[in-house]
Amino acid sequence: MKNQFKIQNAKFKFQTEVRKMRVMAALILTFAFCIFQFAFAGTAQAMLTAIANHDHITIDFFYHGSTVSVRGISDPGVDLVIKITSPEGHQVMKQKGKIAGVLWMNVGQLKFEQTPNFYEVFSTKKVEDILSVEEREKYVIGYPALAKHVDITPVANEEEKTKWFDEFVKFKEGSKVYTTSFGKIDTKLNAEGSQDYYILTDWPYQAQPGDYLVSVYAVKDNKVIEQAQAKVNVEQVGMVKTLATMAQNSPAIYGFLSIGVALGAGVGVSMVFRKGGGSH
Amino acid sequence: MYLYLPIALTSINILIPVGLGLAVGLLSGLFGVGGGFLLTPLLIMFGIPSTVAAATDSNQIVAASTSGTYAHWRVGNVDFKMGLYLLVGGFAGGIVGVQAIKLLHAMGNADFVIKITYILMLGIVGVYMFIESLQSMRKKKDGAAEEAKEEKESAMGRFLHSLPLQTRFEKSGITHSVFVPIVLGGFVGILAAIMGVGGGFLMVPIMVYLLRMPMHVVVGTSLFQILFTCIEVTFLQAYTNHSVDFLLAVLLLVGSTVGAQIGTVFGRKLKAEQLKILLAGIVLAVTVKIVFEVTLTPALLLSQVGGH
Repeated sequence: MKNQFKIQNAKFKFQTEVRKMRVMAALILTFAFCIFQFAFAGTAQAMLTAIANHDHITIDFFYHGSTVSVRGISDPGVDLVIKITSPEGHQVMKQKGKIAGVLWMNVGQLKFEQTPNFYEVFSTKKVEDILSVEEREKYVIGYPALAKHVDITPVANEEEKTKWFDEFVKFKEGSKVYTTSFGKIDTKLNAEGSQDYYILTDWPYQAQPGDYLVSVYAVKDNKVIEQAQAKVNVEQVGMVKTLATMAQNSPAIYGFLSIGVALGAGVGVSMVFRKGGGSH
Repeated sequence: MYLYLPIALTSINILIPVGLGLAVGLLSGLFGVGGGFLLTPLLIMFGIPSTVAAATDSNQIVAASTSGTYAHWRVGNVDFKMGLYLLVGGFAGGIVGVQAIKLLHAMGNADFVIKITYILMLGIVGVYMFIESLQSMRKKKDGAAEEAKEEKESAMGRFLHSLPLQTRFEKSGITHSVFVPIVLGGFVGILAAIMGVGGGFLMVPIMVYLLRMPMHVVVGTSLFQILFTCIEVTFLQAYTNHSVDFLLAVLLLVGSTVGAQIGTVFGRKLKAEQLKILLAGIVLAVTVKIVFEVTLTPALLLSQVGGH
């Protein structure tokens, strides 16, 4: 009986030791995993975040553009590219050319397909210096990549396509809805050893109402290693929205209203001048 | 102060449209032209899309021409009978012109025809008015009369008076066949539709030189005719293209209605020859601008679809 008790006690001690060893092994493995993660932090799916502070821009009568800031956290030491775009669509433009070698006229139309109406790219360094051509084309970053992505018809060859794409960019930059620049993103290391980034950019009043996508790319060794997204919504409100909706949905009423107000203003001002003796 | 325009989808300093409206309203009251040939390109220059600029321009001309017609009517300078005949011809001509422009677009050379028509019509009208008013001013100074021209005018007069359905236009003090204003109105209507303008700068010289109406009645009658043309255009633009910017029109008409009244007051202080030579100067300046436009390399080789 005493011996049986001793055997059971020894068995119990053995099982406890095994459990302890298993726990130790688990702890060692966890520790090793953490060390591994830390050692290869540069290539890990770490922590890229993106927040647009002003993600709902409202357009009222006194709207004259706004500002949008994008902030977030990335791994330390990576370069960043921030791209803000509207959804892609097609745009038709009048094309000017020379007639009889002397006169500049509209000679036809060009259709630009898979083209965003709004395209802004900001980066910590020149995108050509931090991203390979393949990566830029894959993520449509920068004008040369966009040029390759866009379809232009009718054009005879690649040279002509490049010429008209450049003209298109010139037109869009003139309207303040296309821009690319580098060096405007602020980055600094925070207490946790990550990198905080921040950019404040002007939002042009020419940007039409709609949804815009903010894509942030973390870049290392000429490659995009991580990306994060945020959204910006631009919406007409109040009387601006009422008038725009009426013009689209009730064009006859809108037309009569426009004519009525014009006639009323014409007669009204005439009355004022008559009373003031202006027309005599 | 800036205001956001809901149809043009852009923001503008309110002083710009109010100032432009004032300047164009002044011309409207002075010369009886709508001013679309000046205002539309100016609005485009300030960032308004071309389709919205052309449509909204018509809307503000409704206000300016109402103000101008009212001011001229009160001093007895509107020949309603003549205006109605011109209007009938103008509507018919407009329909023909719209079909002609469709045909030209299909043939692919619409822009060339429009630009050349602009340059030729503005150039011919401007040069003719300028020379004629300069000669009249000199003649009045010298007190001399030119016999040859009198003979030429009477030959033209004899032809016009040989036409059937002669009727008296009391306000203008002239007698013409009803076909004369209808055909001339139709001619202006065709050109106006092709060129995409109201046609006041063509109608005024036609009333002065071909219909022989007194200059001050010409201005009031032209405004009366423009009023109805622009009501029609505004409605069609709002209904089919949704391109009338109500808020922009209000800003423009704040200036243009006041400008039209001031123009009418100034107009009565100027002599007919002075009015004609000033209008000729403006028409010639616009012609030169268009000539530069088509000969100098443009800064942008692409533009938005729509408008002029």
